[in-house]
Amino acid sequence: MTESRPTVNIKLPTLEKFRVMNATFPKTREIMEWKQSGKKVFGWLCTYVPEEIIHAAGILPIRITGSIQETELDDGNAYLYVNSCSFSRSCLQLGLRSEYDFLDGVVGGSTCDGARRLFDLWRQYIGTPFHHVLTVPRKYTEKAHQLYYQEVLQFTRHLEDHLGFKIAEDKLLESIKLYNESRSLLKALYDLRKMEKPPITGAETMEVLNASFRMPKELFNSWLKDLLKELAECDCANTGRARLMLIGSVLTNPDFIKAIENQGGLVVTDELCTSTRYWSDPVILDKNKSLIESISRRYLNNFPCARMFPSDERFDRIVEYIKDFKVDGVISQIVRYCVPYSHDLPLLIKKLKNIGIPLLALDVEYGTPGSGQIQTRVQAFLEMLEVKTK
Amino acid sequence: VTISKNDRIREIVHAIKIIMRMQKAQPGFRKSEEAYYRMLSNYFNRILEAAGKGDFIAAHTVFFPAEIIYAMGLVPMHTESTTWTISLFTGKCDDMVSKGIELGMASEICTPHRGLAGAYALGALPKPSVMVWSNMVCDNTAKSGELIMDMFDIPGFFLDRPFKDSRNEIEYFAGELQDMITFLEEQSGKKMDWKKLGETVAHLDKEIQLIREINELRKHVPTPFSPLGFLQLLTVDYLFPGQPESIEYLELLLEELHQAIKEGKGAVPKEQFRLMTLFLPPIYLMSFLDKISQKHGAVSVVEPFFTFWGEGRLDPTKPLESIARKSYMIPEARMYGPMDDRAINSIKQCAKEYKVDGAIYYADVGCRHSCATIKLFKDILNDMDIPVLTIDCDVVDETSITPGELGEKLDGFFELLEDR
Repeated sequence: MTESRPTVNIKLPTLEKFRVMNATFPKTREIMEWKQSGKKVFGWLCTYVPEEIIHAAGILPIRITGSIQETELDDGNAYLYVNSCSFSRSCLQLGLRSEYDFLDGVVGGSTCDGARRLFDLWRQYIGTPFHHVLTVPRKYTEKAHQLYYQEVLQFTRHLEDHLGFKIAEDKLLESIKLYNESRSLLKALYDLRKMEKPPITGAETMEVLNASFRMPKELFNSWLKDLLKELAECDCANTGRARLMLIGSVLTNPDFIKAIENQGGLVVTDELCTSTRYWSDPVILDKNKSLIESISRRYLNNFPCARMFPSDERFDRIVEYIKDFKVDGVISQIVRYCVPYSHDLPLLIKKLKNIGIPLLALDVEYGTPGSGQIQTRVQAFLEMLEVKTK
Repeated sequence: VTISKNDRIREIVHAIKIIMRMQKAQPGFRKSEEAYYRMLSNYFNRILEAAGKGDFIAAHTVFFPAEIIYAMGLVPMHTESTTWTISLFTGKCDDMVSKGIELGMASEICTPHRGLAGAYALGALPKPSVMVWSNMVCDNTAKSGELIMDMFDIPGFFLDRPFKDSRNEIEYFAGELQDMITFLEEQSGKKMDWKKLGETVAHLDKEIQLIREINELRKHVPTPFSPLGFLQLLTVDYLFPGQPESIEYLELLLEELHQAIKEGKGAVPKEQFRLMTLFLPPIYLMSFLDKISQKHGAVSVVEPFFTFWGEGRLDPTKPLESIARKSYMIPEARMYGPMDDRAINSIKQCAKEYKVDGAIYYADVGCRHSCATIKLFKDILNDMDIPVLTIDCDVVDETSITPGELGEKLDGFFELLEDR
């Protein structure tokens, strides 16, 4: 293992396009152009919301996220109280400050306390013409799948009633194919990160991931294809003192990953609801099931959030990624008051200890760029990993 | 199964015995009070006895349908409320909470759950035979079971309760209940007594009806029910759902309230302020709160999330569907379901019908789902010209607020109400 720092890549013009787009979110040029063409934009609050349904209705689904950087959350604190996670507070703050005033609808899920309260207060104080909250079961049983299918059906009917037209089957199929293409492109990107010297860093990957839920999928796929081409052609190669996996709560600030990589760690994979938990599993088309049921099954079976039971499903996937990406150590970043992940931590630490993988647990606020204290702890963690591998 | 010397259950039983003896010596000691403490004592004695004999104990989380455990002839142990009861009767929770942190539980996890895990790790509670839990009421309850299963290497069952109350969701939940019964049958070797479950549901329906009748009497001015008596109504459903002893207690209480109204007796010498209580006050300060309420003539007359049951009746011929429906009628279901117009209107209805002068919002710093609605409920009540006092506290952590601090806040609030 070398001790060189990950190089900052200047040979990837498409990455720059992703960066520029993310820097102007929520009111990006791409979203504003969509709106100006007379089409609707819906915000979604959790990865269990089936985007394909919204997309098939001719609406642009985007993920509601908070401020790019850690910031004062005066409005968020006043409306949601300080013991809601800073992600929810940051999202609400942007909403209250009219940053999302272009939204025509908001869709949430009963996924965690933070997400459902964010939905409640959004509906009450911000308001958009359409609101819907889906019940999301916490199990993967056949009965749970049937319930979620009914929920997704109900959501589809509600949306159709609101729009005044039926979502056509062929449109739904097109959306499924488009989103699956996006997933397979992201998988191709992640496969590059399995290399001994990946051509893209963790921080750079985060820019791509953020863009994946903030822009029209058609455009995103085209940009990502360009980026994959650039990555194949450039001589980019990143190394680090240790190969790391980043897990835990929601994260959108690439500077946080940069802070880790600046210490010499190379983030080669992750388990975040803004990364693998968002894109990893495709919709599997089954001729014995309706398209909507295929979609609902994908969302409930997708890489699980810590809210799901049993937790071993999530833990086993993490272990699988550790092996596939040859991970030396895991960094868990949990946004304060993110209870599902906090509860899982003691059990996960035990599980990883059994396979000899150390875990560094960081309590963070959403949007943090990685403070000096975090950098010091990462530095110590990397030293420990180096000693371990000697 | 061994009982630790550090056993807090034994301490609870001992404390209840002393309280009962002291209360009995007081003039005007009510029969309902005696029935209440007796059933509380029986509850914890039953756990002690089961632990001693190695009988099957099913530990369960808050709002879990313990009526099923009772109907199977098994011994239930309510986890969160046991932590609260330890705090209430022994005042010793700090070591349990600290132990929870030592186990790796983040400080933002609420103290009842940190304390619970800590209590088990300390051996302060007997080892359960199984852990059964649900996602009612929050992420903490949903996530608490697996750690306890791991800690004791015991089997468990997670009961997935859907968010909304559509027909599909009620059917799903009834199916979950059936699966849970199968699990308990396999683990305990005991079969469900369906006749008994039907009777339990009939009792449950009666219990809810009695609470509704009691609530009606609480509308009376002056209100006849004690300032913080609502905690007893809450405990009835937490610990004794559908049990004959809860019916006995509620019937005695109802009779006493009728009598008090007939005699023109209020719960406090001079009723000054009729309050709405939002969420749980610090349990360890209950006697202090009682004194201050008596001093100011302040009485909690309605608690939308604890005692104000939703509409509907239960059908003993459809026990599982009824228990599933009950989970949506529970007052706190308003908090763990969608915060829609139906939930918001019930707050307005309570404020109006109970002639509320002010509301106290106990903002438990560990409770995310309740604190996130402080602003929302304040706005709703303020629009009705009802002032709201928010008190930052913790339900069991004694370091969160002292009696002095709490007294100062309440004195100030009552002065404000008086000025109005």
